[in-house]
Amino acid sequence: MKAYKYVLLTVHIFLMGAGGVFLWGRVSESRTRIVLFMFFILFSMLDAGYYLYFRRRFIIFTEEICRKAGRIMANERDGENQNKETLTSKLVMELEKMEEITQNRFSESEQEKEKLQKTISEIAHQIKTPLSNIRMYQDMLAESDIPEEEAEEFRGIIGQQLEKLEFLIDSLIKASRLESDLIRLNIENHRIFRTLEISVNGVIKKADRKKIDVSIHCDPAVRAFHDVKWTAEAIGNVLDNAVKYTPERGHVRISVVSGELYVEIRVEDTGTGIEPDHYNDIFQRFYRGASVLGAKGLGLGLYIAKNIVMREGGYMMVHSVLGEGSAFSVFLPKNHCFGFDNI
Amino acid sequence: MHILQTKNLTKYYGTEPLEVKALDGITLEIEQGSFTAIVGTSGSGKSTLLHMLGGLDTPTGGSVVVDGQELCGMGRNELTIFRRRKIGFVFQNYNLMPNLTIYDNIILPVELDGRSVDQQYFNEIAKVLGLEDKLNRKPGKLSGGQQQRTAIARALIAKPAIILADEPTGNLDSRTSREVIGLLQATGKKFHQTIVMITHNDEIAQVADRTIRIEDGRLVEGRCFA
Repeated sequence: MKAYKYVLLTVHIFLMGAGGVFLWGRVSESRTRIVLFMFFILFSMLDAGYYLYFRRRFIIFTEEICRKAGRIMANERDGENQNKETLTSKLVMELEKMEEITQNRFSESEQEKEKLQKTISEIAHQIKTPLSNIRMYQDMLAESDIPEEEAEEFRGIIGQQLEKLEFLIDSLIKASRLESDLIRLNIENHRIFRTLEISVNGVIKKADRKKIDVSIHCDPAVRAFHDVKWTAEAIGNVLDNAVKYTPERGHVRISVVSGELYVEIRVEDTGTGIEPDHYNDIFQRFYRGASVLGAKGLGLGLYIAKNIVMREGGYMMVHSVLGEGSAFSVFLPKNHCFGFDNI
Repeated sequence: MHILQTKNLTKYYGTEPLEVKALDGITLEIEQGSFTAIVGTSGSGKSTLLHMLGGLDTPTGGSVVVDGQELCGMGRNELTIFRRRKIGFVFQNYNLMPNLTIYDNIILPVELDGRSVDQQYFNEIAKVLGLEDKLNRKPGKLSGGQQQRTAIARALIAKPAIILADEPTGNLDSRTSREVIGLLQATGKKFHQTIVMITHNDEIAQVADRTIRIEDGRLVEGRCFA
């Protein structure tokens, strides 16, 4: 029903009423008064008819919408109300969109579940190798007649395998927690510098060992919305890679630039670099570049980092020149409403 | 679910001896809720493809199905309404109305559809895109990045299922480009939208879940990262 019909109706009733009162006072003749009265009754009836007619229309409209809603829920679309300038069409298309988004959310959560299951089974599979190694060397140690130096070697191997196991289980816990959204990010407007300190502390020993120079260029006053602990973890993963793939006496440079909406944390290294074709791959689960297969790792670090940053409403980018080094950028929002935890 | 589907899509310009094949048999499917980047050099047909997906141009052959609706069979009026309700566009040159304020520019698609503005949603968008304090200004007074953010807000306001972006960062410097792309991705995730973006810049494309490469009107490779 269009708005102008209501306006017409109101104006009409008002004019009729005013006219009636005006004429009633002016006309004294009883016959004219009767005619006037008849007219009045006639118009009143017309108005009542109008009212009933529109009410009926409204009921039909509501029923139609209910019927359409039922059909949409049953996934039977006729397409008869698509793309028309009518109210029914607007409502039907809005309802259809709602149904689609709900469907989409449902299938998304199904996919999440599948992904999590895959991660768990993959890591569980990887855990098997060190575990069976440990068992094997343990069995050999149990035999009483092995020489002392061999026993020493076995113990060393067992130690290494245990370390690997520890690393795997650690990654498993982090990855599964992130994917099942078990962690709650405590997002607040913190200073970036503090967070950077924490993540640098995690890699400084390793960097020292390789004589890599790590420098931070950051205005201590710069703030962004993030969770200190998990962001430190994310940046720590990026730094860990930078140190791992940078040769001895190389440089790792961390710089922070405040943009209009995001704060960019840039980690540049003088490492092996990444081919542009693989920019996207490196953020995927269990992806290991062909050239780095020798190095220790699982291919989860950047994946976890990206997930953390995305849940904070930020994003990551990479730029690299093969053989010269890579630059990873973590963008954190300066404005709170980005985060996905507070939707 | 595939929200966008093309089957054997072709677009030829001109006639026989001088015929130009802008699109030469493109078949592709795009998942709902994904962020797809279409990459290609200029003249590769990527803009033509985007125009077809949005019903801005009619194909020579083949079909485009958006959200279960076949575009080719639609009349002009139908197509206009379809675009207004289903698709949000972001263009390289922003296409803002210079004589309207930022606020009026953003709410234009909703006004055209004869609906009232969802003020709460509007405030949220304006906040996310950092436009809150610029709503009363005219587009000419804003920087390129701010104008493009206005265009993104305008694309979001009608809550379309699909956002089609044609070189959204083409006129922006690299710092602003990165911000705009980050925003596009974040808002897409937040409001459950499917985004198809055209770019010639691989650096920009890395934010997408999937890149599709197009050359001489044909798909070269399609890689899915999701």
